[in-house]
Amino acid sequence: MHEVERVGDEIIIIRLKGELDHHSTTDIRNEIVPLIKNGSIKVLVWNLKDLNFMDSSGIGLILGRMRELAPIEGQTIIVNPSPTMKKIFQFAGLSPYIYNESEIEIMSKLGGIVYGQ
Amino acid sequence: MDNEITLSFIAKSENEALARMVMSSFIAAIDPTIEELSEFKTVISEAVTNAIVHGYEEDGVGKIEIHAQRLDREIVVSIVDYGRGIRDVSQAREPLFTTKPEQERSGMGFTIMESFSDDVEIYSIPDRGTTVTITKRFVPIQESSRIV
Ligand SMILES: Nc1ncnc2c1ncn2[C@@H]1O[C@H](COP(=O)(O)OP(=O)(O)OP(=O)(O)O)[C@@H](O)[C@H]1O
Ligand SMILES: [Mg+2]
Repeated sequence: MHEVERVGDEIIIIRLKGELDHHSTTDIRNEIVPLIKNGSIKVLVWNLKDLNFMDSSGIGLILGRMRELAPIEGQTIIVNPSPTMKKIFQFAGLSPYIYNESEIEIMSKLGGIVYGQ
Repeated sequence: MDNEITLSFIAKSENEALARMVMSSFIAAIDPTIEELSEFKTVISEAVTNAIVHGYEEDGVGKIEIHAQRLDREIVVSIVDYGRGIRDVSQAREPLFTTKPEQERSGMGFTIMESFSDDVEIYSIPDRGTTVTITKRFVPIQESSRIV
């Protein structure tokens, strides 16, 4: 289960829910990839607040999208990981992309970055 | 307080959640902390996903077995497949090593299993299969005050 919200041309918020494993990543990937390939996306926000479980499949999903964002210098932001998820991100070197802020706080900051306010 | 179960299922990705659920119930009597439980579930998920994805390439036919034993506060779980096997086990254990980058595997499975348990043993024969045996000891907070 998940929810994808596009905010303007440049931001996508992905709210993951339930359990993220090898079985559930396929649907999410199929939904997000075309949006990134569309071109104008600058920021992907992964909100894990309602995610109860994640294994290495989550690492693959996020790293895969980071690779697609790299040529357009897109940014990755991860918020609300559980303590276990934090450890998993740390093993994979993804700690720098975790922000200790709420989605709302991140979005108001991004308003400044993306729209230069 | 000892117990033992065996679970058998085919190599289909929807069985990953099922395996986690059964194993969570199996350790419920130990009364693990939230974090112990979520780490244990992750370990099971990694080993089962490996059997499905690498052992059988998700063929929906290959059989996977989980043997779990509880000895007091120690859990020993073996995840068994009869699939393609691992040619170089020490290489497979290396962080970021993966044979399926095109499927967005990240090569972190064994690293996670090792970090979230007390011992991980891998026994594998090419084209015969793989057995991964994981040992995890649970020590709840209230236990320490009971120890002499
Ligand atoms: N049951 C298995 N049968 C055959 N090969 C396996 C098995 N388990 C692991 N391997 C091999 O070991 C490698 C490393 O496994 P590991 O779980 O660490 O990473 P991964 O599965 O490739 O990626 P990730 O777990 O991060 O999604 C795999 O790429 C695969 O080649
Ligand atoms: Mg793996």
